[in-house]
Amino acid sequence: MTETMKEFDRKDFRTDKYVKELVQECVGGSELQQRKSKIHSYYDQTSSALKKHVYANYMQFIETAKEISHLESEMYQLSHILMEQRNLLGKLRDGTGDSKKDLGSDETAEEDADDTQSLVAIKTVKEMVPGFTGSLENKTFLNEGALIELDANDYRPIQRVFFYLFNDILIVCKVKHDKKLEFLTQYDPTKIAVINIKDLDGVRNAINIITPDGSKILQCVTVAAKNEWIEKFEIAFKFNQLNKTKKITASKSKLIERQASSIDTKSITSDALLTPTEETASVSENWAPEWLATASEEIQALIAQRHFEDALSLIQKSEEFLEKDSTFWNSAEIAGKIKNLKTELSNVLIHELSIYQNRNLQATLRSTRRPLKLLGEMGKARQACATFLKVCTSGIRSAQREARRNNLEVSELFFCDLAEVATEFMRAFKSQAACVSCLVVWCNTELRYFASQLVKHYLTKGSQLEAVAKCVEGVRAPCAKLNEIGLDLSYHMEGLLRGTLEQIIEESRVRMLETVGRTEDAWQPYNLQTKSNLKSLLRDMEILGLDMSSQVTGDTWINLTQSTVNFCRHFLSVTESCAYLAKIETLKLNSEILLKDIFLAQHAIKPNPGITVDLNFVSRNKSYLVEELLPVAVKKFEKLSGRKNEVLSDVHLQLRGPPKPKPRSVYQTDVL
Amino acid sequence: MSKKPTTGPALHKVIMVGSGGVGKSALTLQFMYDEFVEDYEPTKADSYRKKVVLDGEEVQIDILDTAGQEDYAAIRDNYFRSGEGFLCVFSITDDESFQATQEFREQILRVKNDESIPFLLVGNKCDLNDKRKVPLTECQGRAQQWGVPYVETSAKTRENVDKVFFDLMREIRSRKTEDSKSTSGRAKDKCKRRKLKCILI
Repeated sequence: MTETMKEFDRKDFRTDKYVKELVQECVGGSELQQRKSKIHSYYDQTSSALKKHVYANYMQFIETAKEISHLESEMYQLSHILMEQRNLLGKLRDGTGDSKKDLGSDETAEEDADDTQSLVAIKTVKEMVPGFTGSLENKTFLNEGALIELDANDYRPIQRVFFYLFNDILIVCKVKHDKKLEFLTQYDPTKIAVINIKDLDGVRNAINIITPDGSKILQCVTVAAKNEWIEKFEIAFKFNQLNKTKKITASKSKLIERQASSIDTKSITSDALLTPTEETASVSENWAPEWLATASEEIQALIAQRHFEDALSLIQKSEEFLEKDSTFWNSAEIAGKIKNLKTELSNVLIHELSIYQNRNLQATLRSTRRPLKLLGEMGKARQACATFLKVCTSGIRSAQREARRNNLEVSELFFCDLAEVATEFMRAFKSQAACVSCLVVWCNTELRYFASQLVKHYLTKGSQLEAVAKCVEGVRAPCAKLNEIGLDLSYHMEGLLRGTLEQIIEESRVRMLETVGRTEDAWQPYNLQTKSNLKSLLRDMEILGLDMSSQVTGDTWINLTQSTVNFCRHFLSVTESCAYLAKIETLKLNSEILLKDIFLAQHAIKPNPGITVDLNFVSRNKSYLVEELLPVAVKKFEKLSGRKNEVLSDVHLQLRGPPKPKPRSVYQTDVL
Repeated sequence: MSKKPTTGPALHKVIMVGSGGVGKSALTLQFMYDEFVEDYEPTKADSYRKKVVLDGEEVQIDILDTAGQEDYAAIRDNYFRSGEGFLCVFSITDDESFQATQEFREQILRVKNDESIPFLLVGNKCDLNDKRKVPLTECQGRAQQWGVPYVETSAKTRENVDKVFFDLMREIRSRKTEDSKSTSGRAKDKCKRRKLKCILI
């Protein structure tokens, strides 16, 4: 078929021409019909294929977008880490500083780079900010960017401003409507205090800077920008202190040089002392191969440069060699060194793992892969998995906190996170049975914590049954999904929530019983005043599963009391909540008793002896409850919970009558 | 004092001070969000704002959570200037943090130039009473010497958390009404102080 249909793909395809040819080719109507159906089926195929393609592309797009956002957060973290490293290096350099010449040259190279950046920035300031007249010579550029100044009282934007931050000056410009800058004022960063505004009536990404002429609230575009400003202001603030210490070190440099030279001579003398002994020893003994002798230094360097894989392989190589041949004279010393380095490497890797604490969980999982793998190879899997799980704990918990604050779906997030951790964990430690049991224990601990948080924040005393049922459903669905990866936590989860839920059900039962029959009923049919009211009531009831149209009389009347109608509605919605809760065997009885009690309470309401009522109408209401409402409720319960509601069925049989005349007679005397 | 908000409830500015790790942020977060945060992450300077009902009147509290670490000592002056009341926090399990309160008190008095600034001495971590290093009598003694209230709190169990914030706000409020009543008198007072200062310089 595709052969014939290729026709359609041709560029010079024309409908009228095609039809003409078709008509010429075909003989008789039946063949034309056949061709038509063929073309039709091709059309169907194409459209479904198109849909599939669009869907596939869409999914791919979503995947990619997710990936990008993960990568973005990772990049941000990387830049943060780099910044830390840079600061650390800077401190180290200041410490050792001027005494070493080769380091000095490095320093100047870096300073050159900084300088060129600063020069570029200075040039742009000169070009862009016409009103600024101060000198910018010899200043270090730190950051620039646009911010929005907010009113301190009602947080409405006042104006757009542009900041240039140098080491000892902050230039504030106003962004005019034509996007040109206008110089406003300048501050000394050491006289500015920056406050990170964490919570201010929903204003996001804002900082507060306290300047000598009052405080200002400024809003940044993104969280990253905000954090960068806070950091840069801090750098600017500390810049002068740093410079002071630099000067001090410069003045002390002579002293240091002297010390250094004395150290040098010492080390030389110690070398001189060492070499002769080595030589004397070598006369009779074997030598270690050269690579092994320098291995320890090499490994140290590799660890420092963060080439952990190479370091590990070198360690392993050395160990293997030593196992085969340890007859040479300094083998014990080398073995000791290698052993120390190995523990050092594992410590570094463990530290590397724990560094990811308090960061985005996805990024954490990604970036822990490398140290986990290496630690696994080193036989440190158990230590690694403990640290890894600790890191995950803090990641999950902070994500939960965040979600709670933003009113997001905590349950789904929690179980997704749990699943991600579990998959990542299995990837790293699949072969280690001991570790897998660690994971199980950890999952239980996290689950317990999660349950306690859930109880604390969502399942408090006096919660509405409906909300509780919704919350519990929200937990169960994602929890059950974990079965897919072989993690069955449902039972445990139910156990953790059971006590609280039982309490809530009992409490609701007492509360609901109090409200049943509280309002005095006149035992009159229910008048809904307008047709549309009646219509919407019937629709509402139908949604709940009860067809009341048979009870309609006249245009706007229902032949039941208002309290009966209201009770039907209430009872069905409570049944729904109870059915959700009763999905688990242990809660079934409690919810059934709740339903039974409120039903019987409503059923037992008697008309006030003070008013005259139509007794037939009273019994009509009662029998409606038994004959119509109860079966619907029982069915609904079974459908939603998947379990038979025996208690309600029994009630139904008991109240119904003929087969059991006794209860009926009791009931009748009650009414009469 | 900067200009007051023309609309909306009164704003009381509270500053948390004290050494690093005594639980300033924990107290703040417990007051703000009713939760206890176990992970420790040093604060630089964070601010929070919340609407609360103080004796039947709706007010706003602005909490500035400052850095306890010594590296930030130099910026503190700038922060302190904006505060109307201070919670000086230490940990009852750490004597050093208690000794440090003396310095904080002096710095605040120097910056605010006001002996009767609303101020509460707060001994945090009272749930760890078995690890107590600072005797209760010593804490009360110091508070008495300064003429300020002393309260023990626990950010973990939420004991007295609301109390310290509300007590401080009450003091700030009564100070403000007092100020507005006798503006002229206080203005004079301030003039005097300034004069004194000038002479010193």
